[in-house]
Amino acid sequence: MKVQITNGMFMALLINMVYAKAIGLTQGSMAREVGNDIWISTIFSTFQGILMIYLLVLIIRRLPNHDVFQHSEILAGKIFGKMVCLLVFIFFLGAFGTIMATFVYHIKDFFLPDAPILLVVVVPFILGVYAIHYGIEVIARMALVGVFSILSLNLLILLGSLSELDIRELLPVFEFGVGRTIWASRHHNTDWAMAFMMAAIILPIVKQQEKWGRAGVAGIVYGGLFIVLWPILEVGVLSAEVTAQYIVSCMQMARSAEIGYFIHRYEMIMIAFFAISILTQVMMTFLCASISIQRLFSLKDYRPVIIPVCLVLTGYSYWFVFDHQRAIKIIETYWVALSMGIAIGLLLLLYILGFIFKKKVKANNKKHPSFR
Amino acid sequence: MKESMDQKLNHEFKPSLTDNVLLLKEILSNCDDIVFREFVFHEKINEIKGICIYTEGLVNTLEVNEILDLLIYRGKELLATVPSVNLDINLADKVKSEILSKHNIKLLTKVEFAIEGVLSGDSIFILDCTDKVFLASTRGWNERSIEDPATEQVVRGPRDGFNESLRTNTALVRRRIRDPLFKIEAMKVGKKSKTDINIAYLDGTVKEGLVEEVKKRLNHIEIDGIIDSGYIEELIMDAPYSPFTTVLSTERPDKVASSILEGRVAVFVDNSPFVLIVPTYFWQFLQASDDYYTKYMSGTFFRIVRYIAFVISLTLSSIYVMLVSFHQEMIPTALALTIASGREVVPFPVLIEALLMEFSFELMREAGLRMPKPVGQAVSIVGSLIIGQAAVQAGVVSPFMVIIVAVTGISSFAIPNYAGSFSIRLIRFPLLIASGTLGLLGFATMFSLLAIHALTIRSFGEPYLAPATPFVPSDQKDSLVRMPWWKMERQPQLAEGVEDRVGENQRPSPPRAGGTSANSSDQDNSSNN
Amino acid sequence: MYPKFLLLACIFSFMMTGCVGKVEIDDLALVMAVGLDKGENGAIKVTTQIVRPADARGQTGAPAGQTGDPIWSATAEGDTIFEAIRNLATFSSRRVFWAHNYAIVINEDLAREGIADIIDFFSRNQQLRMRTWVLVTPDSASEVVSTLTGLEVIPGEAVDKLFRYTTISAKSPSTQMLDLQSAYLSDTSQPVLARVQLIKRGVSNKKPGQAGAYEQVDLAGAGVFRKDKLVGILKPEEVRGLLPFIEHVESGVVVLSCPGDAEKKMSIEIKNQSFHVEPSIRDGTPAFATSLVVYGSVVEAGCPFTLSDKKDVKKIEKEMEEKLKEEIELVVKKAQEEYKSDFLELGKVFQNRYPSESREIGNWEDVFPSTLVEVNANVTINDSSILYKPTKSGG
Repeated sequence: MKVQITNGMFMALLINMVYAKAIGLTQGSMAREVGNDIWISTIFSTFQGILMIYLLVLIIRRLPNHDVFQHSEILAGKIFGKMVCLLVFIFFLGAFGTIMATFVYHIKDFFLPDAPILLVVVVPFILGVYAIHYGIEVIARMALVGVFSILSLNLLILLGSLSELDIRELLPVFEFGVGRTIWASRHHNTDWAMAFMMAAIILPIVKQQEKWGRAGVAGIVYGGLFIVLWPILEVGVLSAEVTAQYIVSCMQMARSAEIGYFIHRYEMIMIAFFAISILTQVMMTFLCASISIQRLFSLKDYRPVIIPVCLVLTGYSYWFVFDHQRAIKIIETYWVALSMGIAIGLLLLLYILGFIFKKKVKANNKKHPSFR
Repeated sequence: MKESMDQKLNHEFKPSLTDNVLLLKEILSNCDDIVFREFVFHEKINEIKGICIYTEGLVNTLEVNEILDLLIYRGKELLATVPSVNLDINLADKVKSEILSKHNIKLLTKVEFAIEGVLSGDSIFILDCTDKVFLASTRGWNERSIEDPATEQVVRGPRDGFNESLRTNTALVRRRIRDPLFKIEAMKVGKKSKTDINIAYLDGTVKEGLVEEVKKRLNHIEIDGIIDSGYIEELIMDAPYSPFTTVLSTERPDKVASSILEGRVAVFVDNSPFVLIVPTYFWQFLQASDDYYTKYMSGTFFRIVRYIAFVISLTLSSIYVMLVSFHQEMIPTALALTIASGREVVPFPVLIEALLMEFSFELMREAGLRMPKPVGQAVSIVGSLIIGQAAVQAGVVSPFMVIIVAVTGISSFAIPNYAGSFSIRLIRFPLLIASGTLGLLGFATMFSLLAIHALTIRSFGEPYLAPATPFVPSDQKDSLVRMPWWKMERQPQLAEGVEDRVGENQRPSPPRAGGTSANSSDQDNSSNN
Repeated sequence: MYPKFLLLACIFSFMMTGCVGKVEIDDLALVMAVGLDKGENGAIKVTTQIVRPADARGQTGAPAGQTGDPIWSATAEGDTIFEAIRNLATFSSRRVFWAHNYAIVINEDLAREGIADIIDFFSRNQQLRMRTWVLVTPDSASEVVSTLTGLEVIPGEAVDKLFRYTTISAKSPSTQMLDLQSAYLSDTSQPVLARVQLIKRGVSNKKPGQAGAYEQVDLAGAGVFRKDKLVGILKPEEVRGLLPFIEHVESGVVVLSCPGDAEKKMSIEIKNQSFHVEPSIRDGTPAFATSLVVYGSVVEAGCPFTLSDKKDVKKIEKEMEEKLKEEIELVVKKAQEEYKSDFLELGKVFQNRYPSESREIGNWEDVFPSTLVEVNANVTINDSSILYKPTKSGG
């Protein structure tokens, strides 16, 4: 029986895939560019995300039983297919670096300053290998737990920060001009890119093809809503200058949150919820990277490659997070170019190829009529 | 050459009484509790003798005597009507239908079944001149009366609990579901014990293939004996290496009945007051029968209290250890000072202190359980004094630790199912150790590991954590909250049937000015049906 | 194979790591307040107020008991704050732990030289929290930190509570690290910090005759900064004019002279105060109109006074309006002329409303002193507490 997940799970995966880094590191990167317009940038980026997911659904729908690798193979030949596998693997390798940067800088810098980085990197590795051994369905269900914890986390931060929120701080809209605000949204777009690439791989196993578009858009909208709360609070509570100052600015806000006079210092509860979400993201990244390697070597199952792939990813992330300054620099420059290039480039290419090779698509659909 | 026991059992009965008796006596040699009672069925015509065999203590002697009376006195009448002396095969059928119609009689030809019948409390009656044997259901032994279920008490709700007798147990459930679709299928498991097992389900409601799956797993069991349903539970569960229990066992007939109505399958095992219910969701361990019998608001409230108790008993000690040994900045300052002052004199690290206290708590619980009742109380008094008072005064543990362990312990007792509370108690320890060694990282990772593990488990094809994840919106009416009955219109997702659980417009309302009352509208509904 | 491998991996990793960065709470020296003074030869002197939990919290049954002081104050010097703190470790038997710090007290001499590294250090360190109170003091910070207070066991806690409830006295702003940092980082606003002083206030219980026998920490106005340097102080009575600008103030007390008799005094408690700053551009330069709307309640009257006497009420209202206006104008004047520091956050208000214009007018620091600030106050006295008729001798 083919493993299938529901559209709800797909939405949950999308939300989890984008959330952690977006609230953790992205806001600081954007605040360094556009100050207190980061919330507008975030909203812009969410709209771009909706467009992209819609495009993706259009592409995958042509051959609804095939993922992005099989698409490219059918459309433009085996070599192109392999190249796409490699590109996607590189994408997830890079993505894993940014995810681990988020994870490590949250956990290590604020909670376990004496722990060796290696330990903080190895523990998610063990968890991820264990989880993806059981396949997508378990991760998808974990993502539902993740969405629940994201909700709780948002509720907690809202309760804790609302009293300090100064709406006036949000006010000078487009202080640096509309163009620059849109341009800054590229940082957040890299987060969405992770969600698209994941969707490009797992969309074929999502049930009820006709609902893909709606589920995808809904996932992005909910994800965007959960995320946009953070820049608004960060600007309103911390001020844009302070946000820009820190590597992990959301943590700074979480640390100052207090409900009434007595309930403060509860950021650990928040970080525990956050950890569930980001660990789901780690698992999913492991899974996607493993699948791309599986397709690269045309294997039947991805399980044999789990450990090598995850080791490579973990090794890279260890190098990546070792130096705060370097990590942030890569995230803000090279990673933006790489992820945008791969994600948008690949999607557009496939979209155009689909028009050029319409016949191939048709022929293939005849050969393997959709069994749904 | 001597025949082996199996060969002997494979024999069929012969027309000659003496042959049969010899064979049976050989098989049941040295069984002092087996009674052979000879009688004469009809002395005048052909000196038809008979013999009655039963196990003393397992039969209702009155009933045996009654059958004997019937055979002896009515036998004459029967044979008087038969003109010829030709006693053919029909004799057995005739006796069964004409003389013993009052009783539950089966005719047997195989020795094996007869022996099994005798050993399980039936009695057999063998007549000369026929190769069929009467097996009378005369089971009647001393059984425990139906009492309060000791492990699952309720305040509001039925007070009867299962006992060790299979028939009594099935009867208790049958009294609650009087529907022909409620099926009880029998089978036997155990080479030596030959334990009776009944599988009960509601045909048409139970999911397709579920009963077959249960039967398949039960048939697969090869074991010498089943002493309690715990054996069966362990032999059919889905996740044998897991601390989680995927089979719900209960002493409460009402719980079994409601589970069957939801489309689950119950497995009754003879000699065990615990009935198994499959498939099981994890959350069922946190739901008590009271929730459904009291008003829905209080039911929901108590249920939420229990969920909180579950979270506390799972995480509180780990969180305390993690906070005190790694993340001291997370404790509110005033509390931090209190904890620090209590710990000032304690020589152990918090993790060791916690493990020590948890261990002594488990020790006390276990000792209190094992000791004879009058002594048990003394144990708990001494234990609480030593652990609560003296340990703190001696500076071995901090007072705050005592509070944490006590709250954790009380919370684990609030979980209504003993097996459930036990598995939660078990998974608490890895969590405790992980958070004591790696702080938040260890806690979050171990928690996620446990969550992933629980997510991979299925109980007879059903995801163990449903309906929370995978999220089943329609089942949320009876998960975290307990909606009023008039709101739970549909069957749970688990059930196959399309019927609605509750009829339409069941919400009661006071009579309106128009004169329609809740009762009248109910009657309208029932008349429509 | 996988589950077993993972089980092994888990056990292995836990064994290997042992107790990473694990310090029990009773092995920590919990800092409750820290004082920063100028040390010798340009060094910085850090004084920490460290709690002794067993004495701060008398533990029932615990052998250690109330045998000594609830706090232990220690001081160390170093060229940088961090070095000074490291030097603390040379004689502190427990690890110094900052996360529970209530207050950072900065000596004014040090503050005049600049607090940039203090801001940096206390916002860079992950142990320190942004909700810590930051104060300046004219006295030695180490003395302020080691002064025991009468009511609270731990002096740091006393400072904390002092600021939580400053709204009653309105003698100091309550400034947290968060405010300091964002004001310092902001292009327009300048920091302002609360100021405390040691004053002999306590009355000895043993010798009641000697009033002011021992010193207590007392709220004493505010310290005004330009960039990172302390440039001046606001006296406690001037702070009331400052508070509406930077905090949400709802109450306060104004003492006025009676309408009929200037010798006699009466007190009006401010209720439901609302304050609004409206920025505008007049002739190319920013201008502000502030309006203060106050409802007052008579809480004490040294002369017969009743609300039914509309003429008197009008008079009192007028007097109070003048007084409030004066207070605010005084602060604005001081900010613009004396200190040339926009600690009133006027620049932020302007920038939020006119983002593009604010870039055009150039450096806010230069523009601020010449901006026009109009002050309006509107007082309504509508409450006489629980009395209805005036209090006067019968007959």
